[in-house]
Formats: sequence, C-alpha cells, structure tokens
Amino acid sequence: MIEQFLGLLVSLLDQTGLLSITAGNILMMFVGAVLIWLALTKKYEPFLLLGIGFACIVSNVPGSDLTAPGGLFYYAFRGVELVIIPPLIFLGVGAMTDFGPMISRPSLMVLGAGAHAGIFIAIVLAKMTGMFTIAEAGAIGIIGGADGPMAIFVTMKLAPHLLPQIAVAAYSYMALMPLIQPPVMRLLTSKAERSIMMTQVRPVTRLERIVFPFVIAIIVNLLLPPVAPLITMLMLGNMLREVLMVERLANTAANEIMNIITITLTVAVGSTMAADRFLTFTTLVIVGLGLIAFLGGTASGVLTAKFMNLFLKEKINPLLGSAGIASVPIAARVAHVVALKENPYNFLIMHAMGPNLAGVFGTAISGGIMLALLGVK
Amino acid sequence: MNIVPMTVPDTLEGAVILSIVDFFLSIVLIYGISFVLMLFPYLNKLGSISDESLKGGH
Repeated sequence: MIEQFLGLLVSLLDQTGLLSITAGNILMMFVGAVLIWLALTKKYEPFLLLGIGFACIVSNVPGSDLTAPGGLFYYAFRGVELVIIPPLIFLGVGAMTDFGPMISRPSLMVLGAGAHAGIFIAIVLAKMTGMFTIAEAGAIGIIGGADGPMAIFVTMKLAPHLLPQIAVAAYSYMALMPLIQPPVMRLLTSKAERSIMMTQVRPVTRLERIVFPFVIAIIVNLLLPPVAPLITMLMLGNMLREVLMVERLANTAANEIMNIITITLTVAVGSTMAADRFLTFTTLVIVGLGLIAFLGGTASGVLTAKFMNLFLKEKINPLLGSAGIASVPIAARVAHVVALKENPYNFLIMHAMGPNLAGVFGTAISGGIMLALLGVK
Repeated sequence: MNIVPMTVPDTLEGAVILSIVDFFLSIVLIYGISFVLMLFPYLNKLGSISDESLKGGH
C-alpha cells in the first residue's frame, strides 16, 4: 500500500519539473531576477528589462512547455527568427522620432559613424579568439551598434544560431548604458570639454520633415539593399508622423504596435536564456566581446568629436560623440546627464539627439556594408 | 583589367579588411547623406507647407 502510494507520488513528481531543475536553471533565474531588480529599483530601461527578466526566469523553470516548439514563447521567438518583429519595431520608432535635430545640424551626423568603431574592434577580436567564423564575428560585432532590431536582423542573416546570446547581450547592454558609458566619457574628456555649451539649432520646416523620409528611403534602398527592410519601415513610420494628416495611423504605429511588439520581443529574447543553451563558454566570450564593442564605440565617438574640434572654430561638446551610438534616446540621455553634472545649465539632450539618430543610420550602414562584403543579400 | 567581384575571406586578415573598409565606407556614406541634408534648407525656396493645412485628416 505504502509502495503504491510512493509510486503514485513519484509519477506525479515526474510530471512536474521539480526533479529536473539544475544549478544552471537556478543561476539563470537569479540573472533574470537581477534584471528585474535593475528595472524596478534603478529604473534602467524597464520597458526592456522587465520582459526579458520575466521570460528568463520562466524559461528556466523545467517542465513548462512555453519555450518548446508549439509553446507561446516559442511563437514569440519565431517572430524574431523570421525577421518580422525588427522591421515592426522600426516602424514604431520612426513614428515616435523627431529627426529635426539631425536635419538641422547634419554636420554632426558623422559622429553616428565615428561611434561605431567598437563594432570593428569586436569583429577583429572575435576572429582573433579563433572560435568564430567571420560571419559570426560580424554578428557579434554589431552588438556595438547598440541597435537591438539591427543586431537581430544582421545576426539572422549571418549567424542565426548565435541569436540568443547576441540579442540578450545587445538589449542588456543598451539598458545598462547609464552604467557603462559615463566612466569612458569622463576618462576621455576634461571638465572644460564636458562643459562646452552648444548653440541653438535652426528650426526645421514641415516641408523638410516630409521630404526627409522619402529621400532617405530612396538612398538606402539604392545603396544598401540588405538593410532596406529596416530603414524603409523606419522612414514609413516617420512619414506617417510628419504628414500630420494620418494621426491615427502614426499613433497606432507609435503606441499600440510598438507596445505589442516590445512585449513580444522582450519575452522572445528572455525566453532564449535557458541555462542549457545560454550557460556556455561561447556565451561568456560573446558577452565579453559585446561589452568591448560598447566601450570601444563610446570611446571612438568621443574621440571623433575631439578630432572634429581640431578643425572647428565653434567647438562641439565631445560628449555628443558618445551619443553617436544608436540606442535612441538612451545614449543621448546619458550624454545630457553627464553634461548636467558639470554645468547644471547645459541642456545637451536636443543637441545629442542629432548624433544619436545618426547612429541609427550608422549602424544600418555598417551592417549593410558588412552584409554586402560577406555576400549576404 | 579584369575585376572579379569577391567577398571577404574567412581569416583574421579578412576581418581586418572588412573592418577597415566598412568603417571608412560608412563614414563616406554618412557624410554623403549629411551633404544631402545640408541642401535641405534650399527646399524652402520651392515653397512651404503649414501645419494647419495638413491637420484634419484621420
């Protein structure tokens, strides 16, 4: 009788995940909990970290079918794998974004290219490890562009098997930029440089704002077809915003679509953090290289601005260089906060948005050229 | 001269070539786009659009 009872108990236990839980699962649940703690207490990008952290915890509970083929989180990830989600994110971003700061001071756009040297430092270092092909190294390097949808897009083209690690690294570092960037920015600039105040930008007319998305869409489709889906959707969203007469469509793209896709994407990214796939030496190396890419990009952006100042009569604040990393508007906000600490009257945010927005194009162009040079369409 | 299209080799030298070419080409392209944007103020000579004339759609 007792044996029967115990036998039934064991069968019941077999149905649950209690007997399958590993130390790796517990570690990854702790990692998920840290991401949620950072979002709730430090307010680091809660829109990203809450979904990632939650899905990370749940996907490390054995016994659940959420991440198995046919499960709910599995379908969320299919949206990422099939490159449906990244273009929709860019549609929403375009509908939310005011490109006025970039249009009004196009000379600062070059900071959006200069801040991407981190991508290439990571590519070379990845290849030097001997662990990765050049396509894999390219996918790892694009983490340094600090553009989540672009990182996913390029990774799916170059190294889809590395998507979990690269997506998690890209989104986690984007959320942690307020921690990662300021030490590099302070190390490479003097107090006087950080205190430079920028002159007012010129107003941008409605005609310019409407023409802008068409011009950019044509240029990118002509010169960089590999990244045309993302930039075209970015410009479509922006066009809907700027023409003013389809407010309903622009609002839907900027709000409902963006919110749905953000929930889906963060859950999809977090669901890939299962211990058996994630806790590997390769993941550790990728996460380390991603950090180097971010640090290198921040440094190269600041140094590009300082180099420009050698030739400019009206100096620019070199903190704007670090905003050339694509993470909009996080990088611009970080530059603004660091400048405010030196001079409480130095409001850099609108000036920093120019290079920050240019960084989106910088990452797209870097990614597009990379895909073209590696023979990927 | 017979120029054959090729992709970057999967070696460390290939990674360095890819990085240098990509970095400088992206600066050139970004600078080209910024040059196009520098011409935008001339658009205003063609005419203007007021926000009020656009509002009132759906």
